Order: sequence, then C-alpha cells, then structure tokens
Amino acid sequence: MTVIDILTRVDSICKKYDKYDVDKQREANVSGDDAFARLYGAFETQIETALEKAELVTKEKNRASAVAMNAEIRRTKARLSEEVPKLQRLALKRVKGLTTEEIAARNDLVLALPARIEAIPDGTAGGPKSTSAWAPSTASRPDIKFDSDGRSFDDDYFQESNESSQFRQEFEMRRIKQDQGLDMISEGLDALKNMASDMNEELDRQVPLMDEIDSKVDRATSDLKNTNVRLKDTVNQLRSSRNFCIDIVLLCIVLGIAAYLYNVLK
Amino acid sequence: MSSDPEKMMSKADKMTKLTLTRWSADWRGATELYEQAANGFRAANKYEKAKVALEKASQGQVMQSSPWDAAKHMESAAALAQKLSIWDEVADFYKKASELYVECGRAQPASDALGKAARALEDVKPEVAIQLYTDACEILEEDGRDQMAFDLYRACASVYIKLEKFADAATFFLRLGVAADKCDATNSQCKAYLSAIIVYLYGHDLKQAEKCYNDCSQIDAFLKSDQNRTASRLLTAYNEGDIEEIKKVACSSTVSNLDHVIIKLARKLPTGDVTAVQMNAGDDLDEDDLT
Repeated sequence: MTVIDILTRVDSICKKYDKYDVDKQREANVSGDDAFARLYGAFETQIETALEKAELVTKEKNRASAVAMNAEIRRTKARLSEEVPKLQRLALKRVKGLTTEEIAARNDLVLALPARIEAIPDGTAGGPKSTSAWAPSTASRPDIKFDSDGRSFDDDYFQESNESSQFRQEFEMRRIKQDQGLDMISEGLDALKNMASDMNEELDRQVPLMDEIDSKVDRATSDLKNTNVRLKDTVNQLRSSRNFCIDIVLLCIVLGIAAYLYNVLK
Repeated sequence: MSSDPEKMMSKADKMTKLTLTRWSADWRGATELYEQAANGFRAANKYEKAKVALEKASQGQVMQSSPWDAAKHMESAAALAQKLSIWDEVADFYKKASELYVECGRAQPASDALGKAARALEDVKPEVAIQLYTDACEILEEDGRDQMAFDLYRACASVYIKLEKFADAATFFLRLGVAADKCDATNSQCKAYLSAIIVYLYGHDLKQAEKCYNDCSQIDAFLKSDQNRTASRLLTAYNEGDIEEIKKVACSSTVSNLDHVIIKLARKLPTGDVTAVQMNAGDDLDEDDLT
C-alpha cells in the first residue's frame, strides 16, 4: 500500500469516528447557541456530501445508477439553494459575542454559498449524454440551443448532412432485411397452416372409420368368446374321465371275448 | 384334385352344366375349382385364362349368394383385364364388382372399385372415366360419407382440365365445395372455391370467375379465409390488367397449397389478352341497376 493510500484511509477513518472525538464536539458545541453557525455547519456538510457523491458518479460505470445519483445531487442542490435566503437572514442578525467584522465575514460566506452550490457537478454540465444503443453514427451534441440564434435558413440548413444520409441508408437496409426475414417466416407459417388443416380434415375423416372398426372388432371378440366357450364344453365332454373308463372297460371286454373265441377255435 | 388348371376348368365346367345325370349344378365345388384354376393360370402367367376363370368363380359365388366374394373375384378379374389392356372389360368388371359391393351394403369398397376403374381409364377413355368418377361420388354421397369423395372430385376435375373443359371442371370444384360444406371441412372448401375461380380465369372467362367469386363470398367460411383474399387480389389484378400482380399472386403460398394441376394452371396465368379486360370494367356499373 502506498503512503497516499494510508493517508486517505486514515482520513476517512478519522472522519467516520469524528463524532466520538469529545474535544472536537465540545468545540462544535460552542456554536450550539448560534443558529447561524449551526445552519452554516449543516450547509457545509451537505455540500461536502454532494461533492463526494459527484466524485462517485464520475467513477460509476452503471448508467442507471449514475443518473440516479445525479438526480439526487440536483435535488440536494435545489434544497440548499432554497435555504440560502434563510441563512442570509440569520447572517444579518446580531448575535452577542461577535464583532462586526465577523458578521460581515458571515455575510460574504453566505453570498459565496450559491456559487459553491452551483459548482457541484451533477451531470448536466458537459459530459457525454447517454445515447441510444443502435446508432453509433449520431454524434453527441453537447450544446443544445433552442432558438436558431438568428442563423439564416439557407439551403445548407436543410440539406442532409453526411451522417444523416448514412443513417438513413443504414435504416433502409436494415428494414429491407427485416422484411425479407419476415417474408420467409410467413411462407413457412403458411405451409405449416396448410399442412395442419389438411391433417385436421384427415383425422376428421378417419374418426367415423375408427368407430366402425371399434364396433366390428367388439362383435368379433364376443363371437370368438362364445365359440371358445362352446368348444371348451365340447372338448370336455369328449374327454371326460367317465367316458374314458367306459371306453377302456368295453375295450377289455371285446379283447376278452376275442381271446376266448381264439382259444375255443384253436 | 389334379393340379393342372385346364383340367380343373373343364371339370368345373362339367359340374355346372345340367345334364340328364346331373339335375342341379354343384356350384360350391365348381367355384372352388375355378378359384384354384385361376391361381394356377396366374402363376403360369396365362392372364387371359385366369381372367376367364375368375369370372366364372365370381358367378359361382353369386349363385352361392355370397356377393362379397363374388365382388372380390370380379375385381381381380378386372385387374387382369387392365393388365391385358382390354378396356371395355375393365369398365364392365369393375362396375359389376361395385354393384355387388352395394348389394353387400358396403358403399366404400363400391366406390373404390369405380375409382380404380376410372383411374385405369383416365388416359384411354376419359369420358368413361368421368362417368365412373361421378357414379363413385354419388355412391359415397348417398351413404353420407362425403369426405371420402373429395379425392374423387379432385381427380375428376383434373380429367376435365386435361380435356380442356374448364366449365365442367369448375362445376366439379363447386360440388367439392358443397360436399366439404356438409362435413365442415372449411379448408378444403375454400381451396375448392379458389381452384374453381382459377379454372374460370384460365378459361378466359372473367365474368364467370367474378360471378363465382360473388357466390362464394356469400359463404362465411370462405369470406374469412386466406383463399378469399388471394381470390380478390387475383380478380382486382385482372380487372386492372396488372400482369405483374397476377404473376405474384400465382406464385403466392396460398396458391401453392392447391392441387398440382391447379398450380400449373395458375402459373400459366394470365392467358389471353389481359388489357382488353380493362375496358369491361367501365360499363359494369349501371346506374339503374340497384343490386
């Protein structure tokens, strides 16, 4: 850290903790009875804060906050300017314990105040204005004059300057490009819309067909179920164990009879 | 059963002929034999004989009171006839098949059969094709299935355009519009009307086109559509004789969504002399005409 940094830091720390400095307060309180001194002190502090803020603004990168701070400074300035007459009245009042020279000095101080207030930079005097983002060709015009200052309205005045004709050209070009892009988009959208409505109609066409399919398939399934049940019954009947045993018994009887006959005839 | 189709045919014929020994024809057996014979002939690429076999099979099915199978056989026979390029028979067979389908109570296959016939005959006998298309559309409309008829209408109109009968083509497009209206198919309806207007314009008939446009504007659905705007642009361009504008409208996306036949017509607009139209614009408004 450099010496300067140390110095500035010490300064700001002292200022911060000034209110704890008993000696200094006692000194300030001396002028506690004096309304003028009090008010003047308040003025001074306000002017100082405004100056600090103005410094911050110049360092500020964010435009929006810069503008806000400038507005605040302007408000403070307006308030201070309003209160200057009050201070002046107080300055002229006679207070005991003060010499005439001091009173005259006070008057001078009060008179110097408006100038000091005006001197606080608040962004209106000079400095680049914030222009809109897209037209780098428009240069900033720091001094806006309201009347034509008696300048003659000769032909030159209404001629397009170089910058404005360039600007106009660029504007036209961009507009044409935009139009082209929009045309392409609209063509695409048209195609999409057409396809979508065709699909819609096709689906509408197919809905009754699906219903028919549905009912026909339902009928077919119920027929199948019926048939299956009947088939199962038939097969069960054929293969029931009772019939099977009867078949086997009869078969044995026939074989027995055949064997008997064979034996008899042998 | 012998595998020789010829033998099968003769056997089947014998089964169907009534003689002293045979008091009633055995159609069932005969039909089976006919079918097998037809398959055999088809495998051997003897299409003529296969066709005959299928005809007889179909008749057998009719005798057996199964119109569905009969119709199916008829269709196959017609397809073979198409391969052999015997056009009269194609038309006849498909018509018979369609009648049999109607007997079954199935309108869709009936009109499909007629549609197939018409498509086959489009190049060769366009008038017959048109007649077939019209019949097919009627069958569908009777059955209440208008939506299926759209394609048929469009195909019919394109045949008319090929024959350069523009008034008839436009009429068909208007019929398409009516059918579309019944099923709330607004997009098809509007496209149909726009196509009709373009057809009239192509036929040098500006008055008809305008009349058509006025009629169609009565219909809400058309009035609110893109096609309406395109049509009005086209007609104003015609009335002013502005050829550039006509060309621009013809290349617009609304027109490009129509049937490709119509797109071709639109790209060829303006036909004839457009400047002559300008003079007509003057004497249209009669002060006494309060309509």
